[in-house]
Amino acid sequence: MNSFSSSRRTFIKRCVISGIAVYSAPLLWKMGNSQAGGLSEALTAQFKGNNKLKFRMDGIAKVTGEKIYGRDYRAMDMPGWPDQQGYAYILRLDDAGHVYQGFDLNMLPQQARPGQVITAKELARDGVSLPPFFGSDMLLPEGKTAHYLGHAVAILLFDNFAAFKQAKNLLQFNKKVIRYGEKTAFVSESRDPYTSWRIIREEGESGPSGEDKYSPLQDGIFFPNYKAHRPQWPEVMDQQGSVSERGMYYAGRINEDITGGNENWQVLEREYRTQIIDPMMMEPEAFNGWFDEKEGTFHTVITSQSPQDYQEQAVHMLKHGPLAGKVKNLVVHSPFIGGGFGAKDHSIFPYYGLVAAMYAGKPMRLANDRFEQFQAGLKRHPFTMKNRLAVDKKTLKIKALTADMTVDGGGRVNFTGSVTMVGATALQSIYYIPRNDIKATAYASRNPDSGSMRGYGTLQSMATMESMMNEMAGDLKVDAIDLRRANVMESGQRNTQGAIPNGALRYREMLDMAQQHPMWLERAAKKAAFEAANPGKKYGVGFGITTKDYGTGAASPSAAVRLSKSGKIEVDICFMEMGTGTQSSQAVVVKDKLGVIADKVTVAEVDAWQAMQQIQTHNPYFINQQQQDEMEKNPRWTPVIGMASAASMSSYYQTHATKAAAEIIFRHGIWPAAVAIWSEKYFNGTMAPNNLNDAGAARWVDGKLTTQGYPPLSIEVLAKRVHDMGLVTGAMVHAFNRWAWSEATYDILGQEVNLEVDGLALQYGDGANDRLKAAMNSKGYHLLDRTSVNYPETALNNAMVTYYAPCAAMVEIAVNEGNGEVEILNSHTWLEAGKVIVEELVEGQIQGGLAMGVGHALYEEIPSFEDGAGNGTWNLNRYKVPKADQVGVWRQQHTILPPLSDTDPSKGIGEVVMISIVPALVEAVYQAISVRFYDLPMTAQKIKGAIS
Amino acid sequence: MSQHIQMTVNDQQVGPVEVPEGLKMIEFLHEYLNLTGTKFGCGAGVCHACTVIVEGKNGVSEVVRTCISGVERFVDKKVRTVEGHAKRNAAGEITELTPVQMAFLEHFSFQCGWCTSGFINETTALMERLAQAPVAAADVEQVIEEALKEHICRCTGYVKYYQGVKDLILNTKGLTY
Repeated sequence: MNSFSSSRRTFIKRCVISGIAVYSAPLLWKMGNSQAGGLSEALTAQFKGNNKLKFRMDGIAKVTGEKIYGRDYRAMDMPGWPDQQGYAYILRLDDAGHVYQGFDLNMLPQQARPGQVITAKELARDGVSLPPFFGSDMLLPEGKTAHYLGHAVAILLFDNFAAFKQAKNLLQFNKKVIRYGEKTAFVSESRDPYTSWRIIREEGESGPSGEDKYSPLQDGIFFPNYKAHRPQWPEVMDQQGSVSERGMYYAGRINEDITGGNENWQVLEREYRTQIIDPMMMEPEAFNGWFDEKEGTFHTVITSQSPQDYQEQAVHMLKHGPLAGKVKNLVVHSPFIGGGFGAKDHSIFPYYGLVAAMYAGKPMRLANDRFEQFQAGLKRHPFTMKNRLAVDKKTLKIKALTADMTVDGGGRVNFTGSVTMVGATALQSIYYIPRNDIKATAYASRNPDSGSMRGYGTLQSMATMESMMNEMAGDLKVDAIDLRRANVMESGQRNTQGAIPNGALRYREMLDMAQQHPMWLERAAKKAAFEAANPGKKYGVGFGITTKDYGTGAASPSAAVRLSKSGKIEVDICFMEMGTGTQSSQAVVVKDKLGVIADKVTVAEVDAWQAMQQIQTHNPYFINQQQQDEMEKNPRWTPVIGMASAASMSSYYQTHATKAAAEIIFRHGIWPAAVAIWSEKYFNGTMAPNNLNDAGAARWVDGKLTTQGYPPLSIEVLAKRVHDMGLVTGAMVHAFNRWAWSEATYDILGQEVNLEVDGLALQYGDGANDRLKAAMNSKGYHLLDRTSVNYPETALNNAMVTYYAPCAAMVEIAVNEGNGEVEILNSHTWLEAGKVIVEELVEGQIQGGLAMGVGHALYEEIPSFEDGAGNGTWNLNRYKVPKADQVGVWRQQHTILPPLSDTDPSKGIGEVVMISIVPALVEAVYQAISVRFYDLPMTAQKIKGAIS
Repeated sequence: MSQHIQMTVNDQQVGPVEVPEGLKMIEFLHEYLNLTGTKFGCGAGVCHACTVIVEGKNGVSEVVRTCISGVERFVDKKVRTVEGHAKRNAAGEITELTPVQMAFLEHFSFQCGWCTSGFINETTALMERLAQAPVAAADVEQVIEEALKEHICRCTGYVKYYQGVKDLILNTKGLTY
């Protein structure tokens, strides 16, 4: 089975949803792999270097301007499409306090008039509505008030670019276009909160690792009622009562104790605020689509981090409207994206494009400019946090922590529920907290909606814990790192949910390194010397350490690895390439098992997994144990089939699946083939046992396999033998993780094996017997039934998070007293990433994370409401993202902790790298000017004001 | 209102082409020439992702932001976009990259790559300037900052771009003394 021969122009059928066959072409035919159409094979092959990644697989296409992003594609680029490209423009409201009464296009000259106008009237007539995830009123009808600033009211369709361009010039920023009527209340004021969480834990008699008196993991979770659109938590407090009554009992005790004036406790009570942040991914969102009426095929090109979800939702939208019953096939192209940072995950944007193309009758492109992206794109949730921290004055041990968080979810619910939950769980940072009561409620507002932007709530909350530790250290007059050392969570201790974080916690090791850094040791002397030498500038050093969870508690990666007869390795993965290097790192991941870097990695694959024929029935977060026990009897069942791509997920979750697939090929293909060769050529194989029984003793050296002194064999030699013997040449796996991997048993070529995957399909070489060849009838794979399976218990959902990766940052700054500007003089980052797959990619994450954290701390800010992004006038001239001279570009240092062993997992570090620098900067500014900031960002203007 | 314009883009004569009034150069590249390697970032001249090179008559190139420049500014000029740097064979396949492109590749300078074309053009123009007017090796960091400081990168935090350019300049004969 050599899949290298498949045509790049062949769309692969994925599945049938609601009677519509869904196909995908993940990176268009031109860019499905490093062997791009416009690049010579000899050039692209250089990425593998001497079996060490020389550069990114997608690198050449990116430095030569090849068409690889969704925004690049026009109708003329799409085979089979008409050349004439149409263009769509969305009219949006900039007033959420008055009734919308329609719009006026009379200012448009005849040649700039839209060919079609889609409004709520057309959608209602045709029964077109948003996927339920996004709520109602895709286009606001006349006579209603906008739910939020930027609410769309119409989609204008233009036949050509010239008309579109002229019309947009006249319409954008034009206050005369939209008509408003009487003043009304804001819609958000009449809505219940999006979500409320409460995390209560009281340590038990056995201490940090023992059984809790109460915790979410042990006892469960309870929720409030809503009254007057505010949460009403249960009032009954009963130590022997229900989950909620017991929870409220312990919460009451914690709050009583923290307010009780215990003279042995130092209590710090502070309110912190974070701002609305725009992800400012460099590629604004875009969409292109065309319905081929003759073929009944709807083609779409999207810029999405979650193409799987789009496929499903788009199908449901297409069931209604002008094309109802006409669409037989949906083709989804999901090329590379120019940055996402979570804001292209479950974005509402492509559905507007879908509607535009649905009505157009011709290829229709919808592409945000930056003003539109600011106005309508997903944001990072702003948090307000009222925190209280109690520390024993003598032991320096944390005694209790409470928090009341208010989260602004904006005008449409997106991932606000889980962001709020994760933000609440993250408050504890790296510390062991014996007692906690953390509340978090998210409300609707008239701001643009916030989503799963990088940090996912943790940046907001965890940074405040670090700021509290810094301030508390000052109050107690102890070294800030010493205070941390007194409270650092040790391996095996429970988090605020009562769950034990997986694996070793190396926070203390990081603190030790930081405390010995010259920047820390010499900070007092350097401050005196610097300020003496630089009048008008103030010097400060700050430190922060955080640990970010990664994972969702329902992760479900898939991977397929295939070994061709010539020794080429091809990998399919479900993850999207967002720029973080997933494609390249997964090419490297197989090297451990197969000796060499893969030749081709197809990312964002969604079709191929159909070979495993899996089904999903319940929401993985709400399924109960009985349901799971019943469903898992079906070998096709899995809790979740697909997953969205997120920056902190690929290195751990995708790697697990890719490695598992590679391992199967090694164990059931390469190893027996190697033994056969060695026995045959280098041993008197017919006269005695060869003693080559331990596959674990095999070693890849310089790309060749050896064991026990036998001659090294190249992948080319081995691959040929694997195929000739009819062994396993391809493995497709699906895995599920609910804070532990599911395990299942399979029969592979007569061997019973236990694997950490819950779906498995295999391919065999040419020499396989007829029975095996015939069995490869599931899209070219032999679908295996698991003979037993062990899924993590559903109660683990209450753990909320258990996988963490830590990062610490120390920063040395100078504050200009004249203008309030902060200059980063030096910085050092410590990161524990587990086993690093590609060091250069991790370094890029460290450096990029630091820059984004600097933006959050010092520069990036959008005001709420009428002056904010929803009014459509925001762009980079007002929204300040950090530039090179603002991040200390020449003076950044970092330490990546070596793994405990090469068996360490590769951890998800895409988000944690940006968090620690935030509290470090807050503290450095305080150390410089003796003013502590509780509201972010600390702009130069604010700092100047504080100084004066 | 429309106008007819012509220019040379990546050594190819373009036009005369009829374009509407007010057309920005980046729109001309994208919508009329189907050259989408030049990236739209902000449309306000801030992020510099859309930077292209305009060849000067005296051999000194100029970098121009195409999102705020009308297409008329480029009439009769020679324009180089990111698509015009590497060498191609007769089949149009890219066979050889420039030292700037290789430097960014080997330093893992970018992630998403949306800002890369702007960095390549700006760095290429810098290299050409330094070839005519070398600088002291000790001043290289400052020279790079001056050239690249307005370019926004949202993924990799600039460090690997700057290191790549520094290594390239210091290792290219004749650019420093």
